Amino acid sequence: MVVGRDGRGVDEVVVTAMPEGAGTESSPIPRPAIMDQKNLAFLPRVLVVATGTRVEFPNNDSVSHQVYSFSAAKRFQLPLYKGEVHPPVVFDRPGLVVLGCNIHDAMVGYIYVTGSPYFGTTAAGGDLQLKGLPAGDYRVTIWSPFIADAPTSLSRTVHVDGHGSASMRMQLSLALRALPEPKPRRRDWEY
Amino acid sequence: MRWMNRTLLWSAVLWASAAGAQDRVSMNGSVDLRLVHATGDPSYLNGGLGALRFDPEHDGVRFGRAFLAPKWRLTDVVTVRAVIDAYGDHDRNPVDLSEFYLDVRPFPTSSIRWHARIGAFFMPVSLENRGIGWTDVYSITPSAVNTWLGEEFRTIGAEVEARWLGASSGYLGDVALVAAAYGWNDPAGALIAQRGFALTDRPSTLFGSLGKPPTRFYYEIDRKPGYYYGLSWRHHDRLEIRALRYDNHGDLGAATEAGGNAWRTRFSSLGARLEPSAYWTFIAQYLDGDTTEAADSPGEDQFHLGFHAAFALASLNWARERLTARYDDFHTHQLSGIYDLPNDDSGHSWTFAWLHECGDHWQFVAEWLRVASRFPPRLELGEPAQQVETQFQLAARYRFELAW
Repeated sequence: MVVGRDGRGVDEVVVTAMPEGAGTESSPIPRPAIMDQKNLAFLPRVLVVATGTRVEFPNNDSVSHQVYSFSAAKRFQLPLYKGEVHPPVVFDRPGLVVLGCNIHDAMVGYIYVTGSPYFGTTAAGGDLQLKGLPAGDYRVTIWSPFIADAPTSLSRTVHVDGHGSASMRMQLSLALRALPEPKPRRRDWEY
Repeated sequence: MRWMNRTLLWSAVLWASAAGAQDRVSMNGSVDLRLVHATGDPSYLNGGLGALRFDPEHDGVRFGRAFLAPKWRLTDVVTVRAVIDAYGDHDRNPVDLSEFYLDVRPFPTSSIRWHARIGAFFMPVSLENRGIGWTDVYSITPSAVNTWLGEEFRTIGAEVEARWLGASSGYLGDVALVAAAYGWNDPAGALIAQRGFALTDRPSTLFGSLGKPPTRFYYEIDRKPGYYYGLSWRHHDRLEIRALRYDNHGDLGAATEAGGNAWRTRFSSLGARLEPSAYWTFIAQYLDGDTTEAADSPGEDQFHLGFHAAFALASLNWARERLTARYDDFHTHQLSGIYDLPNDDSGHSWTFAWLHECGDHWQFVAEWLRVASRFPPRLELGEPAQQVETQFQLAARYRFELAW
């Protein structure tokens, strides 16, 4: 569970659990993932995928978008489109990929590509359950574009016992980077 | 303006050839009808020196505006954009262009994103005219500051913006520097000198005129380009700050064969828009500058006018409703030049608006506006220098979007 400085659960937080001593290889055939676009926003805003995942970028918005990234982990451009016209993009290197739309500057999305086999994002309330972890020690790391705490404080080792269970509560010490609730901008607004 | 005519022709040809491309051509449009009740001085649009768009002789059922805003994506990064306007107020051109430009937005390959506009367009200065074609999205009538900027200014030239995209560096915001060079803006300043500030939703068009006698705005006199540069900063998608310095670099010795002098107009604008939640918006903007005409050295033969204006706005948006309140304060002060009655304009105004969205297409707006101002040249028209003008408007707007 991830809770903010105010004690309330924080959603949209990426959680990865890497077996201690393991390499950064993920499962051989990761399941495809989807980063949608609706109401001038990426949906979800934060997506975590395993290295090698094919991500589809359908545009289910009423307007066209031009998705791009110039992040070191994945550089790509999807020319102007609506619907499902572009083939999936393969995210073959671990790291953070920041997405933008060349037409709508306010659209920002994040794909966190991880070499860890166990990962997910917290739901409303800050909870996340990772299943199927064999007993052992794991390096658990959390990340969110809205967390202001230093990255070094967002990682710790957790031991999973022989019953296959462990729990972790991560409390943030700094306030979240504030974001307003999504604002419905009319399409005939210029910016 | 010969280059504009030529560009217009080529665009029409290319436009027709591109109509078959999927989702490359789109068109926004709007028709706006009003029911108006106005009190006070005859509007400057009708030959008076009133500060509002309508007056007691010109109210009742009125045509607010109709516009078409076609957009044609030539390539993924190059778009041709135009705004074609009709205001139904006996302008010399019943239908005219307000904007027409090439918009170039290369895909960013680093955290600096370049953006260029070439043609004729509004400068990036207003924080309330967020709609297509300088439409105020918080009320019908923009502030005195942005009314004037819509009346006398259009960038006819080229603008380049470099925007640092903070998201890639973990910062939720961005910072942009913008600069432009332009021509055909030498008459800028004449209207504020002759009339003072006003509050109307009647910006000028590129080839049209405003008022009686008609004033035209966009022609070249001194063959010298003007410039502006500015900064905008967007923080956490909650705060946007815009600063702009404008100087049309008018040559005071230059004049047309008909005797029209170039004006030298300079101003600085600083504005901020805060959106602390999905419901509230707060905007404040301050403008300060001066304009000069006639003799090219200070003295009695040189008309020199200083001006400053500011407004503060609060707007509450929920479901389909928006309520807006705005206070404007504006002043002009004649610093030199011989006039029996100094062109000193001083006033303030209150604006209250209620906007109701009805589905995707219809919007209904009620707006009440009260301006109290003192402008001595009104005495020459047999009107008191001090005036209180009010204007109540009900607007029904139908808006649409087409794409091919």
